[in-house]
Amino acid sequence: MAEQPLHEHTLANGLRVVVCEDHVVPLAAVNIWYRVGSRHEQNGVDGKSRTGLAHLFEHLMFQGSANVAEGEHAALLESAGATFNASTSFERTNYYETVPVSHLELALWLEADRMGTLPAALTQENLDNQRDVVKNERRQRYDNQPYGTAFERLCRLTFPPGHPYAHTPIGSMEDLDATTIEDCVEFFRTWYAPGNAVLSIVGDVDAQEAIAMVERYFGNIPPGPAAPPPRPGDLEPLTGIRLEEVDEEVPSAAYFAMMTLPSDGGPEIEAAEMAAEILGGGSGSRLYDRMVRRDQIATEVWTGVTRLVDGPSLAIVEAIGPDPARISDVLDEELARFAEEGPTEDEAARAAAQAERGLLERIETVAGLADALSANATQFNDPARTFTAAERAAAVTAEQIKDAAARWLAPGARTALSYGGSK
Amino acid sequence: MTTLIPDFPARPVPGPMPAWAFPTGVAGRIPGGPATLRCDLPGRRLAAVRLVLDAGAGRESTGQDGVAALTARVLLEGTEPGGGTKLAAAFERLGASLHAYTDLAALRVLLDAPVTRLEKALELLGEVLRGPALDDADTRRLVRERLEEIAQEDAAPASRAIRELRAQLFPAGSRPAKHTDGSKESVERLTGEQVRAYYSAIDPSEGTAVITGDLTGVDAEGALAAALEGWRATAAPLPPPDTALPTPGPRLVIVDRPGSVQSYLCVGHGVPGRDHADWPALTVACHVLGGGLTSRLNALLREEKGYTYGMRAGLVRLRHCGIFVAQGAVHTEVTADALTDMLGALRSVLEGVGEGECRAAVSALADSAPSDYETARAVASELADAASAGLGADYPRRYLEDLRAVTADGVTRAYGEHIDQDALTVVIVGDAGKIRGPLEDRGHAPTVVEG
Repeated sequence: MAEQPLHEHTLANGLRVVVCEDHVVPLAAVNIWYRVGSRHEQNGVDGKSRTGLAHLFEHLMFQGSANVAEGEHAALLESAGATFNASTSFERTNYYETVPVSHLELALWLEADRMGTLPAALTQENLDNQRDVVKNERRQRYDNQPYGTAFERLCRLTFPPGHPYAHTPIGSMEDLDATTIEDCVEFFRTWYAPGNAVLSIVGDVDAQEAIAMVERYFGNIPPGPAAPPPRPGDLEPLTGIRLEEVDEEVPSAAYFAMMTLPSDGGPEIEAAEMAAEILGGGSGSRLYDRMVRRDQIATEVWTGVTRLVDGPSLAIVEAIGPDPARISDVLDEELARFAEEGPTEDEAARAAAQAERGLLERIETVAGLADALSANATQFNDPARTFTAAERAAAVTAEQIKDAAARWLAPGARTALSYGGSK
Repeated sequence: MTTLIPDFPARPVPGPMPAWAFPTGVAGRIPGGPATLRCDLPGRRLAAVRLVLDAGAGRESTGQDGVAALTARVLLEGTEPGGGTKLAAAFERLGASLHAYTDLAALRVLLDAPVTRLEKALELLGEVLRGPALDDADTRRLVRERLEEIAQEDAAPASRAIRELRAQLFPAGSRPAKHTDGSKESVERLTGEQVRAYYSAIDPSEGTAVITGDLTGVDAEGALAAALEGWRATAAPLPPPDTALPTPGPRLVIVDRPGSVQSYLCVGHGVPGRDHADWPALTVACHVLGGGLTSRLNALLREEKGYTYGMRAGLVRLRHCGIFVAQGAVHTEVTADALTDMLGALRSVLEGVGEGECRAAVSALADSAPSDYETARAVASELADAASAGLGADYPRRYLEDLRAVTADGVTRAYGEHIDQDALTVVIVGDAGKIRGPLEDRGHAPTVVEG
């Protein structure tokens, strides 16, 4: 795939900038990755637990800063037809907006002001309000949805207590309640320094002008302290099936499983993700064919992968069907067969074609490309790695997929949840 | 403790918005088959094909609710009875994907493919559409999957709320009052024979195929024609659509969901369809109410009170009418207070919309269009939807122009004229045991239905 030229620059305060010109539509996407997520939170190891703080803090970033009044960030962007949001995951928090290119400087100014001066606008009232909002987010997305806490439960089963990945970004109600203004200020001072961030701009811009704008608005933000080294995230391979029977009102019995995969960026991740795709990625996959079409023990089955860099990547299998124990057995049969036979040439080719399609989807919008550039710059020090995703997948052989399946998707080695059904 | 950024520049004043217009297409027709619309989008390497057929759930025969949706699903099983994963695999090999679904207005077929493999993907699509197997065994399996899906939808508060809203708003027994994809009772009776009969009655010449992407060097029309030529209806036409209109409230219905930690609030009212001159003004009214974080509902219920993660208001686009819906989930304990605030915000629009508020909403809706329609998929879906509603290929462009011409007074007038605050239908999905009393204390008389 043709690589689009990237322009890179690092400010004296450590902020790294990546710019990619894309003149198809008069838009500019701004995307900032801060290298902080839920894995950097305290979760009880030293007697203090502040799970959910990274995400709660993300909400506070929209409540104003030294030169931006409460509500003004949203008002300025909304009234310009901009789309904007932020998200918090295990390893990073990102903030992004797509604006008409006429509003690029305004977007940069807004991002710079909150990067430089967020605590100036932090009040107890804002914290209390956004804490309530986040608690309602937790209820809406997880607690009040059937199977809504499955991912959280699986992480708790997969990782030992206190492990950085044992809790998910939404955090616990208790820890959200316990969070103070001081926690938030300290969190900001520790993690929101320019040197811990990457800023990407993609769109109808002149690269040198865009970099000059970044210098103008971000250049005088003090460098701040270096981010503390993260706690190690490695995990021994899973052995046996660690099963939790979930006693929750759900519409149908179901079986959820989590398996660990190699970390992103290493030599094995591409093959491992393709193995997971062949196993359960859509209606052409092995698990779908076996469980839904042929045996009809499930009405739905799906496999997905969350790539992680500082810990193991995670594969999830979800199946809806009346007999979770039977689903578990059939999953083992299919895993054993896959490990032994490996994929067919056709399966490997299809997985590579899907990876190519995935790349096209990821980089076709200015926002998607900006996020990918920030991700690859933050995690691999190489924003251009964005463009090699398809060729990395195409280079994987059927033999490598077989090896990855045998090693990472072995039968009888996972954590699992069973909802209802026969016991 | 906090210092300002030294020498931080003043807030930049943005220049004028850059020019942009919704892409135009070239219209054509496949002899005896669908109308076509080709739209070239430079740089878009993922092409999109959207085929809309005038075979939405609104045209199902009595007693066959859900047959349109089921037909769309069985279609994706391909050309061989029991063909298994063959069709899915064939599209995957191309890095392409095929989906199909129905709403009340149309049966929609969605093909996405890299432009380099578009012609091959279209060839496959043509084989499926001209000769689908529509096999009995596949149908039976997909009926079971659909029944499972109904159970899942009814367990999720938002989808349960919308289903109940339609049941309350539209006359009992009318097609729009019932779930587009059918109910448990109707779906479990559907057969392969009914699916085949439904498919054979679809008239391709009543449909439109939209194709978008960087089509430089691709004979899009030729490939479309080769794929779809010769495909004909082989049975009598489907009955005309059921165009029952929403009826006025007031109503307040609680869908009981014991143990719910939140209540899903959903307030609705019928409005005219997209062909009505007030549609753009009503869209702006919705944005003022629940379009973003600064909208009236979110400013009050989220940013001031912390009752919710977010509220939104919008218009549901049916072909023959529209539905105004304001909705969001609130903590169970504050349900009654939140409803009072929500209804108050809805009423507040009658007292007027500020000129600045109106301009901001218009800009939020119209100036986001270049970003909303950045992908070939988004452009194709919008054009196909306009076609399925009989609005014409220039509709998206006209709509954006009309939107920019909306005035604050026009918003207030249209909202007051079409949405009667004394005739709203309120649906709350939540724990009736906990929320009924507080609602009655505030003068409401809720009816409780089972979840």
